[in-house]
Amino acid sequence: MAIPHPRDIQVAVVDWLDERYPFTKAVDEALYQRVPNFANAFYYCFGGMVFILIVFQLLTGVLLAMYYIPDATGNPAPAYNSVLFIQNDVYLGWLIRGVHFWSANLLIIMVLLHMARVYWTGSYRAPRELNWIVGVLMLLIVLFLSLTGYLLPWDTKAYFATEVTIKIAGSAPPAWLGAAIREVLQGGPVVGPPTLQRFFTLHVFVLPAVIVLLMYVHFRFIRAHGISEPL
Amino acid sequence: MSEKEINKEGPGATVAAPKEVQIIELDGHGGHTLEPEWKRLPIGPDHILYSVVVGLALFPILMGDAGHHLADDMPDEDTHPFFPDHFWPYPIIAVVMLIAVGLLSAFVQKNLQLETSADPRATTIPRPDWYFLFLFQFLKLGPELIMSLVIPPVVVGAFLLFPFIDAIAGPRLAHRLGWKSWPVPGRNIITGTIFVLALVYIAFLTLWALAGPEFCLPYFTGPVCGA
Amino acid sequence: MTATVITGLAPILVYFWPAPPKGQKKGPINVALQTPVDQLQDGDAVKFDAPRNPNSAFIMADGGGDNAPGELAFGGFVVKNQGKVNVFAINCSHLGCSVALAKAAPGHPEASFDCPCHGSRFRLDGSVLHGPAAYPLSHLSWKQGPNPSEIEVEGIVLGF
Repeated sequence: MAIPHPRDIQVAVVDWLDERYPFTKAVDEALYQRVPNFANAFYYCFGGMVFILIVFQLLTGVLLAMYYIPDATGNPAPAYNSVLFIQNDVYLGWLIRGVHFWSANLLIIMVLLHMARVYWTGSYRAPRELNWIVGVLMLLIVLFLSLTGYLLPWDTKAYFATEVTIKIAGSAPPAWLGAAIREVLQGGPVVGPPTLQRFFTLHVFVLPAVIVLLMYVHFRFIRAHGISEPL
Repeated sequence: MSEKEINKEGPGATVAAPKEVQIIELDGHGGHTLEPEWKRLPIGPDHILYSVVVGLALFPILMGDAGHHLADDMPDEDTHPFFPDHFWPYPIIAVVMLIAVGLLSAFVQKNLQLETSADPRATTIPRPDWYFLFLFQFLKLGPELIMSLVIPPVVVGAFLLFPFIDAIAGPRLAHRLGWKSWPVPGRNIITGTIFVLALVYIAFLTLWALAGPEFCLPYFTGPVCGA
Repeated sequence: MTATVITGLAPILVYFWPAPPKGQKKGPINVALQTPVDQLQDGDAVKFDAPRNPNSAFIMADGGGDNAPGELAFGGFVVKNQGKVNVFAINCSHLGCSVALAKAAPGHPEASFDCPCHGSRFRLDGSVLHGPAAYPLSHLSWKQGPNPSEIEVEGIVLGF
C-alpha cells in the first residue's frame, strides 16, 4: 500500500469535516473579510490590545489559582501566606503574579483608551449603540474585577480599601436595606474570611465567565457592523 | 349579499329567524365580554419575558454571518483582507506587551510588595488603587449619600445610554432651538463638550488625590486635601 | 414567569444570607489594660484592642453617622475626663477610621481624639470639637473586671 502524501491526508480530513459543517466557509468569511485601509491607524488597535491583555489575565489567573488559598482565618492568614509563597518561593511566581498585576493596570488604561477612540470616531452611533452598551458593561466588569482582585492578597491596604467600599455600598437608605447589603457583601458582621471567600468566587468564577461571554457578543457585533467610517 | 340569500342557503338557514340580540351587562363592562388578545393567551402577560430570556441566551448563536459592511462598497485598493494584512501586528503587539509587563514585574517590584497580613485592629488610612482615586476624592466634596449612591449610578446610567442621549441632544435639539446651522458637522458639540469635561474632571480629581494629603484646595466647605 | 423566578431565586438569595459561624456568641469580653482604670490620670486615655484569640470585637452601645448602635469595633479607649471615666469605640463617626489621642501641646491647645483620615477631632468626653464628623464618638458598655487592670466590655466572639 502506497503511503499517501501528507497533503492528501490534510485534504481528506478537511473534506471530512466540511461535509459535516462548513468550516472552510466560516473560517474564510472570518479571515478574509475586507477591512478599510483607514482602520490601520494606530488608535484602532486599542481594542485588540485589551483582548490580548484579558487573555494574559485569564492565563496568569489560572496559574495563580493553582497556589492561592482563599482562606483568611488567623493572622497571618493562609491567603496572605500563599500570596507571599507565590511571590517568594514558587519558581517564577514573581513573574506570573507580576504579569497579572501589571496587565490588570495596563488593562484599565487600554480600556479607557479604546473607549476614547470609540468616542472620538463616533463609533457608538447608530447602528452600533448596543455594542457601546456591551462595552460599557465590560468596563464596569473590569472595574469590579479590579475591586475584587485587590482584596485577595489580604494585606492591610486591601482590607481597609474593601472595608470602605462595602461601607459605601451599605450606606444605602433605608437603614435596614443598607445593613442587609453590607451583611450579604461581607458574609458576616465584619469584613472577614467569608468576605474573602465571596470576593474570590466573584473574581475567579463569575466575572471572568461574564466578561468572556460579553467579549464574544462584542466581537459578533463588530463582525455584523464592520468598522465604522472615520469622522 | 342580502338577508334573503343567507336565509335560503346559509348553514344556519333553518334557524335564521331574526333573533333579538341580547346585550348582557356584565358588572360595569358595557357589553365588552371579550378580553384583549394578549390576555386571552394561555400564558400570562409577563411570559413575553420568556422570549427575551431565550433570545438573550441564544443571541451569540443566532447572530450568524457578517452583515453588509462599509468595506463592501469601497474600491479594492482602499481595503485589505483581515488576514493576514490586518492581523499581523497583533501577535507582535502581544509579544511586546508580554515583554513590557514582564520587565515591569521584574524591575518595579515595589508595587507588588505586600503590607502586613490584614488586621482590623491596625490603624491605617484607607486609600484605594489609582483607578478609584477619583471616586474617593469625589466623595469628599459633598454629602456622602449623594456623592456615593446617587451621582455615580446616574452617571453610569447616562454613560450606558450615551448613544441615545447623543442622538437626541444633537441636531434634533438644534432644530428645535431654531439654530440655522449646526456648528461642527458630524459632531455633537453639546454631548461632546459634556463628555470631554467629565473626563477632564475625572483626571483632575485623580491628580488632586495623587497630590497627597498635604495638597489642599479651597472648597465651599473649607479646604479639601488629596489622599 | 414571575412565580418561576421567585421560586428559583428565593433559595439562592436565602443561601447568600450569611449564617453565623459555630462559636459566634455575644457576651462580655475580658480586656487587660496597660494602665488600670483607677490609676488613670485625669485627661489621659488608654487604648485597648479586641482580643485576637478568640477573634473578638466590641459592640457599640450608641452612635451616629458612620457608627450605629450594634456596629462592631476592634478597639477602644478608656478615658478619664474631669473625674468621669468613659469607654469609647475607636472608630471615628465620620467614616470609621481609627482615632488616636493627641495630648495638649503647643499649636494643639486642647487634648482631643484626632482622626488621621479627614481631620475630625473629638473632645475627651466624646463630643465633636472639629468636623467633618457630625456625631460624637460611640460608647462601649463596660464594667470593672475581676482585678483592677481588667475591664469587661460588651462584645462578640466572631468564631473565625
